[in-house]
Amino acid sequence: MKMRENHQQWSRRLLRAWALLVGLTLVSLVAVLGFGHSEAGLLAVMVALGASFFKARAVLDHFLDLRRAGTGWRSFFYGSLILILLVLLATYIAAEK
Amino acid sequence: MNEPILSPAPEPAENGGWGALSDLPGNPLMWVLIISELLVFGAFFVAFGVARMLDVETFRAGQALLDVRMGGLNTLVLVTSGWLAAKAVQRGAEGAGPASRRYLAAAGTLGLVFLGIKGLEYAGKAAQGIDIETNTFFTLFYLMTGFHAMHVMMGIIVLAIVGWKNSLDNLETGAAFWHMVDLIWLILFPIVYLLR
Repeated sequence: MKMRENHQQWSRRLLRAWALLVGLTLVSLVAVLGFGHSEAGLLAVMVALGASFFKARAVLDHFLDLRRAGTGWRSFFYGSLILILLVLLATYIAAEK
Repeated sequence: MNEPILSPAPEPAENGGWGALSDLPGNPLMWVLIISELLVFGAFFVAFGVARMLDVETFRAGQALLDVRMGGLNTLVLVTSGWLAAKAVQRGAEGAGPASRRYLAAAGTLGLVFLGIKGLEYAGKAAQGIDIETNTFFTLFYLMTGFHAMHVMMGIIVLAIVGWKNSLDNLETGAAFWHMVDLIWLILFPIVYLLR
């Protein structure tokens, strides 16, 4: 689906996506460096993996413009990301037991 | 400058004959590459998780030797580079060729910074006597990050080529390759550096 936006809107959208990417990277680092070795370690890992998903989604949607593709393609990419991250979370939890 | 424009992807009709790929924005061949790379790296990621599960102490010890801050810095460098590449496409769509080239050059320069930081990290490990044969963790670490670094090198070359031949279609395609490299790192970084 085509979306109309002027250059200023386009520029602001890209800037917001970049700010989100930087912010989520810092959140991941704070979570793991601050709480990774505590009892909240699993929560820190979940925060890092969750942040990863939203970062990957921001790159897909705003830098690769996947937001303009159909629901099927978006579901395929988001679903693949979620599947990989869930498998990794499952292996992490299994290893900690 | 402010008049409404269409986002830069070609009309679906221009991609006729690509089947379902025609629904994706930009060059369908680049999406074939993106999907292929995600599958290859996805297999790497799952293999890493399973290997960690089977030998968690070795992986914990190896991950403790990594500098999370250096990995985090490289993440910030790469996402900023991705934003600059996206800006290059935006400026190209405005018809601002020189500005578009400057954004591409900045994106490529940050790609070199990424490789420089990665080189420092590898040199630090080598100084500690750590290499690809040290243990399973470092075998996978060097394979995954090394393979990704090769993509960064290729991406810098692609950005240079599309800066030289900077039609809008070339810009979109080259930037899409760069975003794919960015995307892979966004998953690789937490798996290798943060899940400890």
